[in-house]
Amino acid sequence: MAKDVENITIRIAEIMINELKLEDVTPETFDPEIDLVDEVGIDSMDLATVALVVQDEYGIRIDEDDYQKLTTIRFIAEYVQERM
Amino acid sequence: MKTVSSLLDEEWHKRYKSISKLNIRSSIYDVTNRCNLRCKGCFFFSSDEDKAAKEEMDLQKWEVFIDREKERGVNLAILIGGEPTICLDRVEAFYSRLPTFCATNGLIKVPRDRFPHLMVGISLWGDEEDEKLLRGKDTFPISSRNYEGDSHAYYLYTITPKQIGKTERIVNRIRDVGLKIHMQLLSNDEGVEEFFWTHEELKDIRAEMDDMLDKYPDVVISSNYYHEVITTGKMFDRQFGWGECPSVTEPIDRRDPRPKHLMGFIRWASDLKTMHRCCTSETRDCSTCKDGAAHMSWVMVNKRAHIRSEQDLKNWIEVYEMFAKLYQFIPW
Ligand code: SF4
Ligand code: SF4
Repeated sequence: MAKDVENITIRIAEIMINELKLEDVTPETFDPEIDLVDEVGIDSMDLATVALVVQDEYGIRIDEDDYQKLTTIRFIAEYVQERM
Repeated sequence: MKTVSSLLDEEWHKRYKSISKLNIRSSIYDVTNRCNLRCKGCFFFSSDEDKAAKEEMDLQKWEVFIDREKERGVNLAILIGGEPTICLDRVEAFYSRLPTFCATNGLIKVPRDRFPHLMVGISLWGDEEDEKLLRGKDTFPISSRNYEGDSHAYYLYTITPKQIGKTERIVNRIRDVGLKIHMQLLSNDEGVEEFFWTHEELKDIRAEMDDMLDKYPDVVISSNYYHEVITTGKMFDRQFGWGECPSVTEPIDRRDPRPKHLMGFIRWASDLKTMHRCCTSETRDCSTCKDGAAHMSWVMVNKRAHIRSEQDLKNWIEVYEMFAKLYQFIPW
């Protein structure tokens, strides 16, 4: 279970880096606790882009109303894991 | 990876924190199709937007509509027109439900006993000569009498190419009546002869706007970066225009790819059903559009792009602060 979240965390980081073309960071160095909105400048449009790929890949639905809770990669990974 | 904390010192980080969670969601409302002036080049009348929709006259329908807007997540109502103060009941319907900003020509005074904190932006198109030529009369003596010393009002000074070298006088006139000022530029294509920005003039006016902000920081609500972006139409290597504009009505925006934009933004016509294309007129040429709010919003919605150096992020913060001050989300 813990390993699942770890794997999902790395994969979400990778999706985020690829989709948003983030520089100077790898899935391994992406701090899963960092506040994506406040610190990285991710907005709801960015989240929607990432959510599309995540939904497809994990076969889940991410409700737009939940975006405000998805403020770190860790939170996104846990959210995905709960719905898988 | 560059992050906000890695780029800012404590003081700037505090400033950032005071705006980063504001989450402003604005929409624009044509309160009425009527106006007590007929300015040359007013985008509303020159593009026949006054005829695009039949004004809703039933106040109750406005109230229901505004409640729906609030439910939709709008937390800033920007009232334009026509002249909103002709219909104070409608203005009140917004004001009693939502943070509200009212654009006006200042000829009718918003009664402060009824609207104590309503933020009012008074339009001014230049000096006496320009005002007479463009609007048929110099509105400043009347609007300044109506709003002298009002802490919830400021002048929205639309600079025309004829104002180069003259802006300081206007800033002083406004300062002398105890009001603040925000500067914007007349767009090239507003159908007014001889009011056309050349490249050189835009360079000159940028320097002048910077100068005014430098000299009168307590009066002028602006930022150097905003001056740069609005006069050059550039943000980094990107060019402002249709492909980049953030102020397009979201439900009818068919652009692909869709650029960063104001979430949930709609400009509503006064029938409460029709949606206009964007925050200004549909007939305007996007490649020469100088709309101030659209340029400000362009910077604001592109936060991540500015988290790349200390100066870029500070520029972003200053533009966001300017917007937040103009719409009363943070104090002057
Ligand atoms: S006062 Fe405003 S709405 Fe009225 S004609 Fe002039 S620019 Fe247009
Ligand atoms: S006219 Fe200006 S505000 Fe309207 S869509 Fe074009 S660039 Fe944007």
